[in-house]
Amino acid sequence: MITKIKETLLEKKSYLISLFLSVFAALLIGAVLMIVTGYNPIEGYAAMLKGAFGSSRVFGNTMAKMLTLCLTGLAMAVGSQAGMFNVGGEGQLFLGGLAATMTAVYLQGVSPFIAVPLAFISAAVAGGIYAWIPAVLKVKLNVSEVITTIMLNSVAIYLCTYLTNSSGPLRTHDRGVMAGTDAVPKDFMFEQVIARSNLSTAIVYSAVIAFLCWYVMKKTSVGLEMKITGENERFAFFSGLSKDKIMIGAMVASGVICGLVGMFEVFGYQQRFLPSISNEFYFDGMLVAMIMNYSPLGIILMSFFFAVIDIGANAMELSIGISGELSEIIFSIIIFLMAAEGGISKAIQERQTRRKVRARLREEARQ
Amino acid sequence: MQDSIVRFENVSMQFPGVLANDRVSFDIKKGEVFALVGENGAGKSTLMNILYGIHEPTDGAVYINGRRIEKFNPKEAISMGVGMVHQHFMLVPSFTVAQNIVMSKEPRKLGVLYDLKGANRETERLVKEYGLEVEPEAKVGEISVGLQQRVEILKTLYRGADILILDEPTAVLTPQETEELFTVIRKIVKEKQMTVIIITHKLYEVMSISDRVAVMRRGKLVGVEETKNVNERILASMMVGREVLFDHIERTGEPGEVMIKADDIYVADNRGLLAVNGVSLEVKAGEVLGIAAIEGNGQSELVEALTGMRPLQRGSFYICGTKADGMNPGQIRKLGSAHIPEDRVATGVSLQSTITDNLIIGKEKLPAFSKYKLHLKQSSIARYARELAEKFDLRGGGINTRAGDLSGGNMQKVVVAREFSFDTPVLIIAQPTRGVDIGAIEFIHRQITDKRNQGCAVLLVSADLDEIFRLSDRIITMFEGKVTGEFKSGEIDKMEISYYMTGHRGEEGESRDN
Repeated sequence: MITKIKETLLEKKSYLISLFLSVFAALLIGAVLMIVTGYNPIEGYAAMLKGAFGSSRVFGNTMAKMLTLCLTGLAMAVGSQAGMFNVGGEGQLFLGGLAATMTAVYLQGVSPFIAVPLAFISAAVAGGIYAWIPAVLKVKLNVSEVITTIMLNSVAIYLCTYLTNSSGPLRTHDRGVMAGTDAVPKDFMFEQVIARSNLSTAIVYSAVIAFLCWYVMKKTSVGLEMKITGENERFAFFSGLSKDKIMIGAMVASGVICGLVGMFEVFGYQQRFLPSISNEFYFDGMLVAMIMNYSPLGIILMSFFFAVIDIGANAMELSIGISGELSEIIFSIIIFLMAAEGGISKAIQERQTRRKVRARLREEARQ
Repeated sequence: MQDSIVRFENVSMQFPGVLANDRVSFDIKKGEVFALVGENGAGKSTLMNILYGIHEPTDGAVYINGRRIEKFNPKEAISMGVGMVHQHFMLVPSFTVAQNIVMSKEPRKLGVLYDLKGANRETERLVKEYGLEVEPEAKVGEISVGLQQRVEILKTLYRGADILILDEPTAVLTPQETEELFTVIRKIVKEKQMTVIIITHKLYEVMSISDRVAVMRRGKLVGVEETKNVNERILASMMVGREVLFDHIERTGEPGEVMIKADDIYVADNRGLLAVNGVSLEVKAGEVLGIAAIEGNGQSELVEALTGMRPLQRGSFYICGTKADGMNPGQIRKLGSAHIPEDRVATGVSLQSTITDNLIIGKEKLPAFSKYKLHLKQSSIARYARELAEKFDLRGGGINTRAGDLSGGNMQKVVVAREFSFDTPVLIIAQPTRGVDIGAIEFIHRQITDKRNQGCAVLLVSADLDEIFRLSDRIITMFEGKVTGEFKSGEIDKMEISYYMTGHRGEEGESRDN
């Protein structure tokens, strides 16, 4: 087992080194920015860490953020393993959240043992169907799923906003509440794991989903078939795989996860579905997935780091006044450097092959 | 070396798994029509892409007008007078002819404003100068393919090209349009002292248009000849080989019942034109049927149809006695058929996946390799992959090496290992040794013959006549989508078979133009 881990690490050595360097460089540039804007970077990062770990409450918030990033990142990875680039997770998240919320609202008074599973199902179905549409368009008509999912995002977000804003048909009539649906009944809500924080038992469901993603992607025949389809569709078809089913399935699975994330946001702590339910959470998850090369384990680890920076930066803004946007800057720099890493290491590899082939040809010519 | 306008010196180009050009050296003279012929994958397009600056060669040097190319990019090539018309046109359909022609070097008014009238004027001037009739204000999307090609040529002329590369220019043209194109080529060469390089695999076109011809095979230059000193037959045998003679392979057993049967099938190519025009054939158990044909005569489409990759227009075929037309590749495989595709990189492997994954795919749901068809038994899979790798003599890395990092020969062995280990009664094999080194060729030939001796029905398509002759019990020739002859192995020699491959049914006949 240990030798196996060693082997994997060695194999990915250059990638891991560049990842650490990128992260380090990004934090360094963040520090420079703090200095330029007149703050002490040590204080700044201390405030960031305190904001993310300082109390059980903020730690709970950090963990809750991690769950969202991790699940959305995995959703992205599941699709892309089969070559389906789901950029529409945000819309699937909105619809899943709204569907689950409305199911719960309509089932008020019913036993939570019936209502909550039904809410799960409606979130999954809403997210799944919304991903199924672009998947079918892609498979049957070869319409780029990137374009359709991006556009369907706007459709879903505006639809949900219309339905739940201050004059929408699904808005609440509770006094003092400006927008959003009725609240999910208290007994349907997930239990709090850390009091007064955003961390709920959603962590259990998330762990199950994350495990399933990893297991299916890495350990099963389905995962292998997804990978082959994603890498070379023609080869998959030639080899007799049902590539259409695999591609649609992967996209729907991705949508289901996003729908559930929407539900977890509401049932975990927000209580109501609000048009502001997600602040482009899916896109943050996508970034995590891309940085980690769609590796499920990598996504789980990296989402923790991102959550610390994100939650910590907000706290930093409140405590010492450094703008919370710093977190976005740090993320962007990491991505920028990682993208450059791909190009640089590729160039190095190409030069090496060139040299090798040249040497071989010269050798042959001499003989 | 006075009149040499382009010079290749020991040019080699390595792509993942393929040495596309292998120490190619020759000169092209100013003011000639130079034809470059060879099968698909012989490296002719790669060589021209190097000249046009799209690829940087792995080794060697290219000179234009005596100047060595330092930087390989199309902009540089264009400034040195090279123009290229690709097989797939690079035109904006919604723009007019004139707008397309002046693109990237538009006439300006006041230095910044687009001068549409100027563009039309420039086009008129070019039309008059070169005698290439086009309508400057017509929309490119609304004119015929032949005219679009003319626009492409004018575009390169407008940019000042004096070396014009045409990549399979006639593939998209009707015979009438081809004739017109050739007239244009003759004219610009004669009157404007242009040099035209034409890539093709249609031999009668070579005879009709070119002054000299270079033949390429497996990335190497076979030879450069004065066109008047050769004929189609000689070119065909140069293209498909007169390479090393191998040892004889023992063939045993008698043919059994019919396992592959095609009944008058018609198949369209990617453009929707019929590539296979009513082919019928039968392959019996314990027999190798070889199809000999020059590239582009329907044999690729025939194989794709029989493996489920391409739909039939008409007719039907049977694998192991079951009607198989309309089935997808997975269903056809279940009937008892395994396939080696002609393009291993695009169809035969996943380059990013490991050797193990490439070997196991198609078997991942067998009880030996997964529990409940789901949970992969990693250690059994690794053991199996290692066994296959050893049996098929895979070199160049362990079973966790990415397929893309293998040489062409080893990559092909991965394909052969996977497909042959399905142990099917039917094998459909296309170009099994294209781009493969000699050691691997010998190995793959033995594997195919072993399969045959064990009672497999083998359909073999190859551009390599040596291979066809060595492995086949029966041979059929195809030309323009039709079967032109059928022979028992040993009944016919290579010279004679080239007649049938170029469409002359044996009798007489030289090139078409005279």
